[in-house]
Amino acid sequence: MLKRNRKVGFYLTLPAVLLMAAMTIIPVVSVLQRALSGNEAFGRLFTSPGFSQVMVNTALWTVLSVVGALVLGYFGAMILQSKYLRGVGLWRSLFLIPWIIPGVVGATIWKWNFSRDYGQINQVLLNMGVISSPIEWLSDPNLVLFALVIVQIWSTAPFVILLVSAALTGIPAERYEAARLDGANGFNLLRYITLPAVSATTALSALTLVTWALNAFTIIFVATKGGPAGSSTILPVLLYQAFQTGDESMVAVIALLQLVLSAIFATVYIRSMRNELEESAA
Amino acid sequence: MKMTRTTRTLTWGTLSWVGLALLVIWTMFPIAVMVFTSFKPGNEVFAKPNTLLPQNWTIDNFVNVLTDSTVPQALLNSVLVGVLATAITMVLSLSAGYALARFRYRGSRALSLFILMGQFIPITVLLLPFFIAINAMGLIDTIGGLAITHLVITVPLVTWMVRNQFASVPIELEEAAMIDGSTRLGAVLKITLPVAMPGLAAAAMFAFLQSWHEFVFASVITQSPSSRTGPISLTEFAGEFTVDWGATMAAAVVLTVPVVIIFLCLQRYFVAGLTSGAVKG
Repeated sequence: MLKRNRKVGFYLTLPAVLLMAAMTIIPVVSVLQRALSGNEAFGRLFTSPGFSQVMVNTALWTVLSVVGALVLGYFGAMILQSKYLRGVGLWRSLFLIPWIIPGVVGATIWKWNFSRDYGQINQVLLNMGVISSPIEWLSDPNLVLFALVIVQIWSTAPFVILLVSAALTGIPAERYEAARLDGANGFNLLRYITLPAVSATTALSALTLVTWALNAFTIIFVATKGGPAGSSTILPVLLYQAFQTGDESMVAVIALLQLVLSAIFATVYIRSMRNELEESAA
Repeated sequence: MKMTRTTRTLTWGTLSWVGLALLVIWTMFPIAVMVFTSFKPGNEVFAKPNTLLPQNWTIDNFVNVLTDSTVPQALLNSVLVGVLATAITMVLSLSAGYALARFRYRGSRALSLFILMGQFIPITVLLLPFFIAINAMGLIDTIGGLAITHLVITVPLVTWMVRNQFASVPIELEEAAMIDGSTRLGAVLKITLPVAMPGLAAAAMFAFLQSWHEFVFASVITQSPSSRTGPISLTEFAGEFTVDWGATMAAAVVLTVPVVIIFLCLQRYFVAGLTSGAVKG
């Protein structure tokens, strides 16, 4: 019976595996092949004047949006833990909305909010007297990437709130009480109970956020198309632009670069997921 | 001076509510602007200084979007693509998810990791190969062609969610039914599926939403209004030099409302499905 079951299990998994193989291995192999046969594109990419800017943008975008989302997500989860609040379930649902609305909608409404003349952000800042003339959020090359980072944080921080507040809620209250009886102060509680309990969640959130940031496309493309003059272009946007101009070997070379980056983070993810699977497999 | 219990409560209570208020503003302000702009007449949308609330509320933008644009067609296309992608995803994910939750065989762990890995491949990396493949199948600018591309996004995550759902149903329930003479399939259909149903429904909704949101593939696979989906139609109110922001915001509201309603109804299961892998550590 057991032996038969094993076969059944394998055959039940097979269709999904075959589909994913067709949709991931074949395209990746074709990208590799195209990149190697069109390897003159490596030279064109690395020597193009905008390339270093794209790499700097990608790094800056990733670091800032991941750190921002983690900080804001922890802040939100902590607030939701407060015993002085009412209606926590309602607030948590509200906080999740930016994460679940379509990316293209988020990008569009922020583009409108950032409008120099009609945007509410400039309007509010002007009314409060914080600024004296409107800011060019999306057309100032020195500012645009930071403005877009705000949008990415806005739409991804809810995911951190969700994971971290689930982890915080999972800490048994007795653990805190016992520590308090032993004379622990607030800092000790944080250092020895709270932080260890959420460390795995933090790692997972950070990893997920990095993946999202490195693969981000819709927010930037819809809001600025990577401009002005490439000042908000990151790798996926650069790839899309090459696709639009029909430069196939350039597409493949950038794709290869993206794959190498993703592979690094996927390896870390798989490492942590492997333990999880070992624990919970029936 | 030592803080008394009441002042302490007062301080922390106030701080909590202030923090909450800040987060609510940060979260909802852009959305409020979207909603209010969608109810503004054209002259107020482009007024300086611009007010948050409309002076004269109007539904003209919605009438425009729903009667005089490609948005209704695009929403219908989005529903069709979403239903098709979700149906295929669920067939594959129910079978694979059940197997991964219940059976251990040589290579089962490697296979589940392989399926899960799919979500790490950047969408833009797949763009050119998928475009070429869909083109070769003659499915460019069709609903079916776009739905196929969405499977690479939905299958890994949904298989994982389904696996977690099945794993949370005690296997003893199934075994009890089998001892009573039921076949394994019968036990699954009669016992496990009904117990896991809410979570599985949430997984299906999750697949649908992923498809509903998807922009990158849709922007290259669909080329005419006959297959163009909601997210693409939203970018079409921008002319060469001007954007009809009133209509754009109305279309954004139309695109967002179903998602928010679905989410709020099913969020309990979404949250459980998504976090069950993450919070145990």
